[in-house]
Amino acid sequence: MENTFAVEIEGLTKSFKDFKALDTIDLNIKHGEKVVICGPSGSGKSTLIRCINGLEDFDEGKISISGNTQNPKKESYVSDFHIGMVFQQFNLFPHLSVIENLKLGPMKSLGLSEKDAETRARGLLERVKIPEQALKKPNQLSGGQQQRVAIARALCMEPKLMLFDEPTSALDPEMISEVLEVIVDLAREGMTMVVVTHEMGFAKKVADRIIFMDGGSIVEQNSPGMFFKNPQTARCKKFLNQILHH
Amino acid sequence: MFRILILFLIFFTLSSCSSPEGTWGWYVIDPSTKAGWTNIKFLVGGFYSTILLSIIAAFLSIFIGLVVALPAMSDNKLLQLFNRVYVEFIRSIPLLPMLFWVFYGLPVILKSMGINANIDAFWGAIITLAISDSAFTAEIYRAGIQSISKGQTEAAKTIGLNYYQTMRYVIMPQALRRILPPLANQFIYIVKMSAFASVIGMQELTRRANEIVVTEYRPLEIYTLLIFEYLILVLLISFGVRYLEKKLGSNESANS
Ligand SMILES: Nc1ncnc2c1ncn2[C@@H]1O[C@H](COP(=O)(O)OP(=O)(O)O)[C@@H](O)[C@H]1O
Ligand SMILES: [Mg+2]
Repeated sequence: MENTFAVEIEGLTKSFKDFKALDTIDLNIKHGEKVVICGPSGSGKSTLIRCINGLEDFDEGKISISGNTQNPKKESYVSDFHIGMVFQQFNLFPHLSVIENLKLGPMKSLGLSEKDAETRARGLLERVKIPEQALKKPNQLSGGQQQRVAIARALCMEPKLMLFDEPTSALDPEMISEVLEVIVDLAREGMTMVVVTHEMGFAKKVADRIIFMDGGSIVEQNSPGMFFKNPQTARCKKFLNQILHH
Repeated sequence: MFRILILFLIFFTLSSCSSPEGTWGWYVIDPSTKAGWTNIKFLVGGFYSTILLSIIAAFLSIFIGLVVALPAMSDNKLLQLFNRVYVEFIRSIPLLPMLFWVFYGLPVILKSMGINANIDAFWGAIITLAISDSAFTAEIYRAGIQSISKGQTEAAKTIGLNYYQTMRYVIMPQALRRILPPLANQFIYIVKMSAFASVIGMQELTRRANEIVVTEYRPLEIYTLLIFEYLILVLLISFGVRYLEKKLGSNESANS
């Protein structure tokens, strides 16, 4: 029994001490939908996607992943629905080779045999276009290559939903496109994804919907065409001006 | 090795100061006489107990330290409290009182619980050393594990690893590089503190030295030898630690 929504968020509220990082967020994401989230630094974008995959607990509200509800203040793992996550800082395991980084999850968490994990990992390295780097350590790779390994590592778990938290913000400009290409390919294959990014060219290309956050709330959301042509709020206009003309 | 040679040189220079009526009387441990040789054999025989005692205590301490350190990293306030109380409490007890408590006091408690355990000097010393040292090894683990960035734990979570798997495959292999050298250093502390086992009758290096001093009345020579016995042990460990540091240091990897 397939749910219509991959993610259903209702009244999600989260505070760090006295500071409200998320304020009653409502958000539904359809299966196969690609959502881009943007907004000024500190607006709660990371906190929102970290709540979705359970890295952060929350105070109030409800999050359902494919119909499985997560409750506030609980170790919120949904084991039958793996959510892939790509971090701004890659967070590769520095003591393991690239291929070992990829194999770890499938072997230890999914219980795949070494051979099956190897096959799967090799296939994904092909897909992110760095099969020749399999035996290197992460710190021997460029930033762009490291981030592609991180994407492959997440895909190794065969997730149905992928979360990206500013995947290109830590990269040198010349490496941004190689990482975005991989994400675009993934989008074309129909992956449901939530991408926090300020790469507006990318957003125009892949997003079904763009969400603008500020001060812990969703201020505005629209299709890419409408979002850029006709921003509704002053805050959003100001933000777009800043990032499009800098 | 060069440094050991120099130390021996000093040792034998000192020994040449001896004169029949002077302060030094090396005859007590002169290997060319039968009595001297017997004394040496008896004194050096203490190495066995000192080393065995230290190694077992060190292994126990390494294990207990980990068990005490892990709760410090949990989100559970009660577990964190357990870690703090253990470390602060154990760290504050001087070794000698703890040794007396374990050797003379613990059997009384065990007896009242219906366990008729006789704690001999060997195990009394091991328990004391291990527990006393574990407060320090726990802190070493904590520092090492906390030096690994939070992003590593989070990345491990997102690929579905549970707590044990995260520790075993992600955190510990990285933390070990920082933990091993200070842990090995801590072994030196155990070796030196094992001398206290002499007061409850454990026949290790110090106890044997004391026994010969009582019969021979040559404290200067015998305690000098005793100091060199410990020096040799500690220098050997130091070399081991150096070697370990070099080996681990060469495997330098950035922590993203
Ligand atoms: N662990 C934390 N402890 C305290 N405050 C936090 C923590 N994580 C985030 N915050 C605060 O919450 C707000 C939202 O953070 P974040 O979601 O990271 O914003 P964004 O990703 O949009 O830049 C920021 O003001 C930040 O300082
Ligand atoms: Mg962020």
